[in-house]
Amino acid sequence: MMEIRIAGVTKQFYPDIVALRDVYLTIPQGDFVYLVGPTGSGKTTLMRLITRELVPTKGQITVGECNLRSLGSLDLAYYRRDIGVVFQDFRLIENMTVYENVAFVQEAIGMPKSLIHDRTGEILDRLGLWRRRQLYPEQLSGGEQQRVAIARAMVNCPGILLADEPTGNLDLTTAEDIMSILLSINASGTTVLVATHNQYIVDEFRQRVVGIRRGRVIRDERKGRYEPDGDL
Amino acid sequence: MAIFRYVLRDTWRLLARNLGLSVLTFITAVAVFYLVGASVLFVMNTRAMIAGVESNLLVQAYVKSEEGVLQTVAEKMSAMDCVASVETITPEEALEKLKARLGNQADAVTLLGENPLPSSVQVQVKKAEFATVVARELIAMPEVDDVVYSGELAERLQKISSFVSRLSLIILVISITAASLVLFNTIRISVFARKEEIETMLLVGATPAFVAFPFVLQGVVLGVLGAFFASGILYFSYGYAINALARSLPFLSLIQNPELLLRLGIVLVGGGVTIGWICSWLAVSKFIRAATRPH
Repeated sequence: MMEIRIAGVTKQFYPDIVALRDVYLTIPQGDFVYLVGPTGSGKTTLMRLITRELVPTKGQITVGECNLRSLGSLDLAYYRRDIGVVFQDFRLIENMTVYENVAFVQEAIGMPKSLIHDRTGEILDRLGLWRRRQLYPEQLSGGEQQRVAIARAMVNCPGILLADEPTGNLDLTTAEDIMSILLSINASGTTVLVATHNQYIVDEFRQRVVGIRRGRVIRDERKGRYEPDGDL
Repeated sequence: MAIFRYVLRDTWRLLARNLGLSVLTFITAVAVFYLVGASVLFVMNTRAMIAGVESNLLVQAYVKSEEGVLQTVAEKMSAMDCVASVETITPEEALEKLKARLGNQADAVTLLGENPLPSSVQVQVKKAEFATVVARELIAMPEVDDVVYSGELAERLQKISSFVSRLSLIILVISITAASLVLFNTIRISVFARKEEIETMLLVGATPAFVAFPFVLQGVVLGVLGAFFASGILYFSYGYAINALARSLPFLSLIQNPELLLRLGIVLVGGGVTIGWICSWLAVSKFIRAATRPH
């Protein structure tokens, strides 16, 4: 079970910017969590702590049995194979096609070619991208790029999916489409953490809401709603 | 197998994507390894020439014309480690040699009356630098009247040998440093051109070794290709140069051994692998360490 336990985590950036203060949070396997809060509240920092791009200044994070602070470089690589990340800016590789962008993350973990072909085909088909597989990222719309990013994050069947503003800059229909995909991924048992500012999707697809403000967790509600006063 | 295929394909992609830079690195590697090979051959030929001259370098000691003295001096010299061979020459043998040298005018020696030539010992040293040591040893012997040897030539040969060795060492160090820097920078540029790709790979769980290997292989390929082509060019250009020199300066003892060139080629290719590997590993591992180090 990939339970995420964040215990007393403070993250301070040099010299005196405190991004997170004494955060306690437990996210059981299979949860769907919205991280909401104003820009600069610490949502992205929290996600980067979970991917171990950052380490806490104080406190500790454990995912399953794994204490993130004590991971060596090889253990970190194996840990990250179980974490899918959808970046705010997609981070697709410009000179790779849609198919290659999704296939290369499987190559990176040494998967056999036949399996790569099958799984890439399956995920592109599921996300409605199969007909776009030969196109390059610049030839896609924002929504399509976001779907490719989700496909890439999902293709290795991770236990946890982190999505940073997955509906940012997308129109309502596309945002709903992306949310449906994330919910279906969650339905298959994957823990999903979505950092968002999108009031509509938080209220429309109601799930657990964790509000962060000035680096502190100010609320944690099951089937919560977006609170414009606190979350913006 | 999938990893192997990926590494090969990615290495090819790296080489092709930075084609201009790859070609430039390849040309530099060819030039550098050619220079290294040429300087090695230059040193070996200089040493062979010096060895040729040294083999003819003799120290001649004229000894007193007393019974048994010639043998005593010869035995003392033979006991020295730096001596290659000792030859004793009686006054009669010396006269015969003189006659042989005079040729048609050999009869002129009869005008001398009694044979005036002394007994002597001819000592051949193993290296030119030992000539002075042997000469000093002989002068110190009470049985020896006089010592003749080409002391200046011996010292000059010694200086030339030492200068050539030092010069080639400097060329070697400069060449290898230049090749290393060019290779290091080529790989570093390749790494920076794919910065985001590498960061993404590390974030999805690629191991540092998996990320680094195509870059390391790129460096090795460039190093090996450079050394291989340099060896080929060296083989043909050396053959051509040696033939031309042998025709115009036949008295020079130059090395004409294809097996030696083959061995030198193998050493150069081995050097290409080593330099390519080390430089590219340093360039890429530095970046990967920085990318995986949590902040």
